[in-house]
This record gives sequence, structure tokens and C-alpha cells, in this order.
Amino acid sequence: MIPITRKKLSKKQKFEQELEANGGLKGTTRRGFMTTAGAVAIGAVGVAGANTLQAINNGAKAAGDPIPLGAMLPFTGWGGADAKNFEIGIGMAVEEINSWGGINGRPIELHIEDTKNMSAEDVTKAAQRLIDRFGVHAIINGYNSPSVRAEYDTISDAGIPYIHDNTQYGHQFAVRDNPDKYWNIFQDDPSEYYYGPGLLYFLDSLEKSGRWKRPNNKIALFSGSIDYATTIAGGIRDYMDQFGWEFSIDDVVSQPVNDWGPSLVRVREDPPALIATTHGVPSDQTGIVTGFAEAPTNSLLYVQYALQLRSFLDIVKESGEGVFCSTTIGTLKDEMGSAFGKRVFEKYGEGATPEVVGQVYDSVYTWAIAAARAGGTGEPYDGVEQNKKVCHFLREQIYRGVVGTIKFMWGQAATPYPAETNDPSLGMPTLMMQCQKWQDPVQYVSPDLYATQDWMNPPWMKG
Amino acid sequence: MSRRDLIILVVLIAFAIAFPYMGVPRYLLTSALVMFCFATVVTQWNLVFGVAGIFSLGQLAIFAIGAYTTAVMGRYLDMNVWYTFPIAGLAGVGLSLLVGLATLRMKGVYVALLTIAIAQMMFVLIQTDTACSELNRIINPQTCISFTGGSQGLGDFGSFGWREVLGGRDAVRGDYYTMLGLLVVGVLVSFFIINSRIGLGFKALRDNPELAASRGISQFKYQLIVFGVSAFLTAVAGSFYAAKFKAVGPGILGFDLLLLLIAMLVVGGLGRAWGPLLGALVITIFREGVDNIMTEGLQWRDVIFGGIVAAVMIFMPEGLTGTLDRLWNYILIKLGFAKARSSTVTAVAQDKKAND
Repeated sequence: MIPITRKKLSKKQKFEQELEANGGLKGTTRRGFMTTAGAVAIGAVGVAGANTLQAINNGAKAAGDPIPLGAMLPFTGWGGADAKNFEIGIGMAVEEINSWGGINGRPIELHIEDTKNMSAEDVTKAAQRLIDRFGVHAIINGYNSPSVRAEYDTISDAGIPYIHDNTQYGHQFAVRDNPDKYWNIFQDDPSEYYYGPGLLYFLDSLEKSGRWKRPNNKIALFSGSIDYATTIAGGIRDYMDQFGWEFSIDDVVSQPVNDWGPSLVRVREDPPALIATTHGVPSDQTGIVTGFAEAPTNSLLYVQYALQLRSFLDIVKESGEGVFCSTTIGTLKDEMGSAFGKRVFEKYGEGATPEVVGQVYDSVYTWAIAAARAGGTGEPYDGVEQNKKVCHFLREQIYRGVVGTIKFMWGQAATPYPAETNDPSLGMPTLMMQCQKWQDPVQYVSPDLYATQDWMNPPWMKG
Repeated sequence: MSRRDLIILVVLIAFAIAFPYMGVPRYLLTSALVMFCFATVVTQWNLVFGVAGIFSLGQLAIFAIGAYTTAVMGRYLDMNVWYTFPIAGLAGVGLSLLVGLATLRMKGVYVALLTIAIAQMMFVLIQTDTACSELNRIINPQTCISFTGGSQGLGDFGSFGWREVLGGRDAVRGDYYTMLGLLVVGVLVSFFIINSRIGLGFKALRDNPELAASRGISQFKYQLIVFGVSAFLTAVAGSFYAAKFKAVGPGILGFDLLLLLIAMLVVGGLGRAWGPLLGALVITIFREGVDNIMTEGLQWRDVIFGGIVAAVMIFMPEGLTGTLDRLWNYILIKLGFAKARSSTVTAVAQDKKAND
């Protein structure tokens, strides 16, 4: 167990502490899992995919003509902090891959465009610039979700692979309904929809392991009012029968929610086993967490996203202890992930956030391996046939990286574990996180394989 | 339109037509067509703001109405976007006439406050449009999207269709010429109005409303005309913008775009026929240049941009066209083609000369 200390630790020290708690790099039972995890990744600890590339490159040095790779990152918009981490992740992967011989002996050359506030115009222009100005053979980035997929056609026309982390169910339908048009577009994290079933699978695992017993079958659901939140609520709705749940409350709340009082009165009149908010606005969620703590019921409290933010915990303080949340993509704190986090801190200092850096780091490796297996990359427009081969390998390969396994399923989106596969070596884990001591970072409590702490029943609950 | 203006216009159009065949990369065509779109908006805005002297900041709301009309009709009625353009234009005229009526008894900064409030009200209404729309449920039962798409915007409503006609590689050329056509119409309308009796009426009301009223120029009539006329093409520009990018969100009502358009007007020269066009061109070239040169310190890009706009306002209060006009007159005088005249050449005097 991680020793609880009041001493303020640096991010690096916390990472190392968690690494130690997991058995460090000395080898644990998880190694057995990891080394057999992927058909492609023959995981050297912490440098996923490197061995595969090294084997394919057969000792070649990255010399030859560089392969231009593009990234569209929102540096000067509200996503600026994440953009910086994405830049680190992509740059780190490119540097490593080049040191292993690049792609079939050709080094990767990175070109980055700013997408500002990720409007349709800015993202489309960024894509067009990368294609026309630099002739990129692929575009890999984090999210540009507000563009509403406006850039898809531009990239589809150029016929180059595009791998993003937009976390949108809409992506899956767009690809499913237009497979001939969007054959080259991949979302390498599971869609937001899977937060819903991921939550219910987690509760099921708590019950089956005897760590929690539901007092009744009721869920009080407060969905936010944007597509992101309502899609997550839809995921809960679709799977609740399977796990024997019913709604006591099923509300869509309009943002911003300044007063949770009336909602909490209804909760207290008919206490459910679970209160779930899919309304991911941190400033609004402080209200429900602190309001609930004033007179808690015998219910679990799930909030979307906010719990991961230090500033949120600093506001809610003790009220947040026992509250839980989840993410469909995040750097694991197992051997590979922890070693990766350590490398990120060593190279880029404590300003970097390994949990975010890892997302795109894995994307670059996924593409590079597929490209190496396909015998190289294709340039925009004229290299479509070669890029079709690359995308074929992207679709069929299984890659184990620092965020878990990337295996594309329908709609060319990453498969979530456990919602779409019961095999953790074939899916990206939906990580459940819990605040156990508000002064400390949130702990990964599920899936068990990647947990950094055991689940803690919230302090307000009976028994 | 003077002979000089006509020659310049023909040369510019010929250059713009040839531009895609000069070996320029496609991303420059995208930048150029966005410039055409914004230039259309500012040439129309110039009629209200510069020529009629009404300090309206509501042009962005009209632009957005056009964009959302196309998005909504294309998405929910499955209407070809080409059919939505005139409807979008009329929707823009409707909104603009309401704004014109509301600001009839206002002047100066009060008009600005009311019109920007209307644009912000639209922004908030869209941003907080959160109820799941049954129309969207019909399209895809598994997702919940509000009628306007709320903060996430609306997509999947069609496009110009050039991809199907010209293929993916050349579709941008179709978009380019479509936007160019819109701009040419916008510039011609702008020139026509500025040099017509209506335009003179606008200028009279701007420069001396009391005298204009005493000569029988009705503020009610002329204000509604200028709001209505300028709105049609502005809304169509919004509509084209939506069709080009196949997505529309509340960001198009944001201050970033508003400030960019104002900068185009001010840098080019308020109240002058060529001002908005030149402003749009110069600012687009500047932004493209900065984007190409700056790879680090991107946060300074807007600071530099702001500094240059401020410098133009201080050192060239009549904008680039005003300065170029002075320079042109100076050259003519030096070459003996014209007589020296007052150094404070006003826009009104120049317009009068053009009309004579």
C-alpha cells in the first residue's frame, strides 16, 4: 500500500511512490500478462513497440528521406495545456522511433500546426497546410473535438492516415456509415459512450468481489446537457437492464448548474444506490459534491471528469473523499506506464503530465509499426494505395502501449475494456479513479490489473 | 464606379481567377477563400458602419444567422445547401431589419452596445441550447444533439458538392471560385450603393443628419435600406462559410472573429469602397506570413497583430486606402497631372470627385 504522508510530494516523487507500490521494475505477476499481451508489442519495459520496430528495421539506421508526420494541436486555445503535453508525447515517440531506425530506415520528421480554439475553419486549415505545405504522410494528434469532424473530408481526400483522440461516438457512426470515404480515420481512444457501461461493469465487479453491496437497484442520473454528457448517459441507459438497475431520477440538467439543492432534495427523498452525474463541468460539480456531503445518503457518488483536477479537490476537500470518476484513456500506472512516467519527468520536468502525454505517444507507435509492416508510408493523394496498406495493418494489429491495448473495433475506434471485450489484453481499460485522501492524487481502483489502491467504501456510507 | 476603379477591379478579378493555376498550394486557396468570405462580410458591413456611419456591431449575428439557416435546413430538411442560400439571405435581412428598427433612435456607442448585445444573446442562446432535439433523434437515435447543436456545433448538413464534381483533390478550387463569385457580387453591390443616390443619402445622414433631414432624406427609410441591403450578402456569406466547412458552432459569434473583421475594416479604411477589400487582403497575408514564419512563441502572434492594427489606427487614421489615395494624389501633383489641394482630403470629397 502507498504510505499516506502529509508531506507535499512532487509529481515525480508521487509517480515513483506509486511505481514502488506496484513492485517497481523488478518484475511482478503483471509482467507475465504484459509480455503476452499483444500480437505486435513485444514490450520492452517502458518502451512499448520499440522491439517490434527494431526487429522490422533489422538494424537499419534512420537515414534516408524523412517521412513527414503532422500534428494539429490547440496551442493558443483553451486546450493549450493539453496541447503542450501532446507535443511532448508525439515528439518523444518520434525521437525514440528514429533512434530504433525510424520506419524501414527512414526517419520521421514532425510538423505541427496550431488549431487555436479548434473551430471547423482552424482545424480544416491546419490539416490542409500539413498536407500541402509539408506533404505529411499521416496526421496524429490529441483532440480537436469542437471542429465537429470538419477536417475529415480534407484528410480523407488526401488519403493519409489520421489518428486522433476526439473521444466521440459520432466518429464511430461517421466511419461505419462511410467506410469507403473514411477508411483512413481512426480514433485511438474509446468513445465517451463507454463511460456509461464502464461504470456499470465496475459496480458489478465491486459487488461480485464483496467490496460493496447495493442497498437497492436505483440510480439517480443527472446528465449534463451537451452531446458528450447525454451520450454517456445513453451508455448507462443502454446497459442498466443487463445489471439489474433502474432509475429513480433520470434528469438532463442545463449548464451551468448553480444550485443542486432541488436535485439533492429529490435524492434524499428516495435515496438511490448510485448518484451519477455525467455533467463534466468542474465548476458545476463542486456544487453536487459539497452539497451532497452536507447530508449524505447511503449512495455512491460518481462524477464525470472533474475529480482528476487538483484544483477541484482543493475546493471540495474532504467532501471529495470517497467520490469516484473514470477515464476511457490514461497512462497506466503499471510497470510500463510508471516507467514511462518516470522518463517523461526526467526528460521534460514536472511541468509534463504523463497521463496525457501517453495518449499520443502510443498513437505514433501504433502508426509507425503499421507503416513499417506495410513496407513504408504513402504521400498525400499519390500514395493512397500504400496508405491503404498501412491502414489495413492499423485495423488488424493489436498494440500494447502505455495506455493499455489499442485494438480498433467497429467505427475504427479503440476497443474499451471491459465494455466491449472481457479480455484486458484486447482492450483499453476504462480506468476508475477514486479520491481517497483529498490531499493526494486520485487513485486508480479498477480494473484490478491496473489499480494503484483498493476501492475504499466512502466514509459516509453505512456498514 | 470610376474608370480607375473599374480597371483595378477587372485586374483583381483576372488575378484571382488565375491564382489557383499559379502553382499555389491548396492551403493557400483555403486561406484565400476564407479571405473572400470575410471580405464579403466587411464590404457589406462597411456600408452600415463606414458609409452610413451607424456604429453597428451586429454584422456577426447576421453572418451567424446565415450559417445556422443553412446548417439547420440542410440537416433537418435534407435540403441541398444551394437552395438554402437565398433563404439564409432573407433570414439575415429579417434579423437586420429588426436590429435597424431597434436602433433607429440611437446614436454612436449605444448602437454598438445594443447590436453587440444581440450577437451575444444569440451566442448564449446557442451555447445553452441543450435539450435533446427529436429531429436529431430521427437522424441518429443513439445520440442526443440539441436543435442548434449547442456548444458543440452542428455538422452533417451537406456542402457545395464540388467534391463529387471535381474530385477530392480539386474540390477546393470549386469552393474557391464559389467564394470568389460571392465576393465579386459583394464588391459590385458595394460600389453601386456607395456611388448611387442611396449612398449619397447614407453619407449625408452620416455627416450632417440635421441638414440631411431638412433636405427630405428620411432616416427611417435610409437606415432600414442600409441594414436590409448589407444583411443579405452578409448572411449568404455565413451560409457559404457553413457550406465550405460543413460545420457551424457558436464560435462564429465570438470576439475573435469580431475583432478580426473590425481590424479588416479599420486597416483598410472605413467608408471607402476599396477599404474592406484591401484590409481583408493585407490582414490575411499578414496572418499567413506569421503562421509560416513563427514556429515558436505562438502566443505572441495575436499581440503582434494587435500592435500592428493599433499602429495603423494611430499613424494612418484613414486606413491604407486613405494613405494610398494621398500618395496617388501626391504623385499626380508631382507629375503635373493634378493641382495641389488641401492635405486633409476627406473621404466625402474623394467620393464626390469619384461621382463627378
